[in-house]
Amino acid sequence: MYCGMDLGSRAVKIVLLDEAGLQEQKVIETAHFYKQCGRHTQQGFSVDFATLISHAPESVTVTGYGRNSLNIVGAEIISELKAHTIGALWQTGLEDFTLLDLGGQDSKVIRVRNKRMDDFQLNDKCAASTGRYLENMAMVLGISLDELSRHFQNPVELSATCAIFGESELIGRIVEGVPVAELAAGVNYSIFRRIKPMLLALSSKTVVFTGGVALGPAVAHWVSAEIGSEVVVPAHPQINGAIGCALFARERKSSLC
Amino acid sequence: MMDLQLLQGVDYLARIGMTTTVPVEIILAAGHVAVDLNNVFITGAEPVRRVEAAEDAGFPRNICGWIKGLYSTVIDSNCVDAVVAVTQGDCSNTHALMETWQLAGVRVIPFAYPFDRDVDMLRLQMQKMATALGANWDQVLEVKWELDRIRRKVAKLDRLTWQQNQVTGTDNHLFQVSCSDFNSDSQKFEKDLDEFLAIAEQTPPRSEPLRLGYIGVPPIFTDLYSHVESMGARVVFNEVQRQFAMPYDEPDIIEQYRRYTYPHGIFCRLEDIQAEIKLRQLDGLIHYVQSFCYRQIEDMIVRKKLDLPILTIEGDKPGCLDARTRLRIDGFIEMLK
Repeated sequence: MYCGMDLGSRAVKIVLLDEAGLQEQKVIETAHFYKQCGRHTQQGFSVDFATLISHAPESVTVTGYGRNSLNIVGAEIISELKAHTIGALWQTGLEDFTLLDLGGQDSKVIRVRNKRMDDFQLNDKCAASTGRYLENMAMVLGISLDELSRHFQNPVELSATCAIFGESELIGRIVEGVPVAELAAGVNYSIFRRIKPMLLALSSKTVVFTGGVALGPAVAHWVSAEIGSEVVVPAHPQINGAIGCALFARERKSSLC
Repeated sequence: MMDLQLLQGVDYLARIGMTTTVPVEIILAAGHVAVDLNNVFITGAEPVRRVEAAEDAGFPRNICGWIKGLYSTVIDSNCVDAVVAVTQGDCSNTHALMETWQLAGVRVIPFAYPFDRDVDMLRLQMQKMATALGANWDQVLEVKWELDRIRRKVAKLDRLTWQQNQVTGTDNHLFQVSCSDFNSDSQKFEKDLDEFLAIAEQTPPRSEPLRLGYIGVPPIFTDLYSHVESMGARVVFNEVQRQFAMPYDEPDIIEQYRRYTYPHGIFCRLEDIQAEIKLRQLDGLIHYVQSFCYRQIEDMIVRKKLDLPILTIEGDKPGCLDARTRLRIDGFIEMLK
C-alpha cells in the first residue's frame, strides 16, 4: 500500500492506493490533524497512521502547502504541481489538458501537454480567488459551502478586490434585498473572474477541475460558457493531490522492478 | 521655487546618491563619491525597517518597496549630500520620491534618459548633469577610460559565469549590480574584483544541469540565486545587472549610455535578452517584477515575444524568499528537468 498525503491549508487529505487502485481516503481538518493525529518530534511530525488508515503503508509521499515548512517523519516530499498533475493524468486518462485546482488558499492552473507539465500559474499575494474566500462568503450568507457552490444564475456584481472588504460589500447587497441565490452566484462569479486570466493564458480544449470547489457546478459552468473549454471533474476532485503522491511512489517502484 | 542648488565649485568631496544607474563617470569626474541608494538600502542592517519607516511617514502600502526604502535611506541615514534622480527611463514614482526629499531639504538633480534614445537629448542631459556637479568633459573621459578597464574585467567575470561555469549566479549578480557606483570606491572594487577573478579562474566548473536567465530589476529577495542553485539550476544571465555593468566596451560615452537598455523601454531590452538567450543556451527565464511596479504590465509583452519557459515572480518587501515564491521556483525547475 502506498500512502499519499496532501497537507493543505484547510484540510489534510490522505489516500491509500495499491496496484488495484484507490483503496482508502480521508479528509481531516488541518488544525485537527496536527493536534490529534500525531506528535512533533525532533525529526519532524510523526503521524499516527493507525488512527487514520487501516493498513500500515509501504511508503508515504506528501505534498501541499506544508511542504516547505513541515517534515513528516519517514515521508518523501514532492511538489504540489507534480502531485496534482500526476493525479489528474491518472484520474482522467487525458494527455493534453489544463488543470484548474482551487484549494483552500491556492488557485493553480497547470497546462499539460503529452502527459507533461508544460506551464503553470499560481495566485499570488492574495487569497481572494480561493476556497477560503468561498467559505467566508458562505458564512456571511448563512449557507453551507455546498449550497453556495450550486448557484450561477443572475450573479450580482461584486467589485471589491479584497476578500475581507468583499464581505462588507456582500452584506450591503443583502441589505438591498438581493436574493441569496443571486448573491451566491455573484460570489462564485467573482472567483471565476480572478482565475479567468490564468485559464486564458494557459488554455486547452479540456479543463480538468479539481479541489473542493469543483464539487459544485457554478465555477465549472463559467469555465465552459466563457472560456469555451470542456470541463472534466474527476471522480475524486478534492483528493487529487494525495492520489498523485501515492501514484508517484507506486510508479517509481514499478519502474525500478 | 525648488532648491536645485548647483554643486559646481564645491570644494569638498560630496556624496552623490543615485536612484538608479546614471553616468557615474560624471560624478567621479567632478571629484565626488557615487552612492547607489538601492545598494545602501538593500545591504543595510534592516532594510525592512526602512520600508516601514517610509510607511510611517505616510507612503502608501501599495507603493514599490524600493521607493520606500530609498526614501528612508536618504532621510534617516544622512548618507548623501545630494541625489541624482532619474525622472525618465525609470518609474514615475521617482517624481514623487524627489518631491518628498525636496520637502525634507534634500538637494535633487534630475536626470532623464530620452525614451526614444535620441543622441542629442542624451548628450544634453549628460552635459546638464556635468554642469550641475561641476565636472568638465575632459575629466569625464579620463574617468571613463579608468572605469572601462574595470568594466572589461566584470565582462570577463560574466564570461566565467556562462562560458566556463566557474562563477555562481549570486557572485555574477553582486559584481555586476555594484557597477552602478562601483561600491563608492572604484579602486577597492577593482582590487576585490581582481582577487575574485584569480580564485574563480582556478575553480572547477560547476555542473548544474539547468541554465536559467534572470530578467527584470534586481531582486529584493536575498536568497534567490542560492535557492535556485540548491534546486540543481544556475542563473547564468542577469539581464539588468549586466546592463549596469555596461559590457559593450563602447568608446563613445554618449553611445555607451544610449546602448544601455534598461531605461529605454521593453523592446530595446528584449533585443538584448533574445541575443543572450541564444548565446548562453538558456533553458528558461525567471522574470522578476516588483509588487506595484508598472513593469508588471510588461510581463505580457515578455511572454508574447520570448519563446522559452518563463516564470514570473513578484517581490514586495526585502528578505528571504517566501514559501509561495519558493514553491513557484521549485515547480518551475522541476518542470524544466
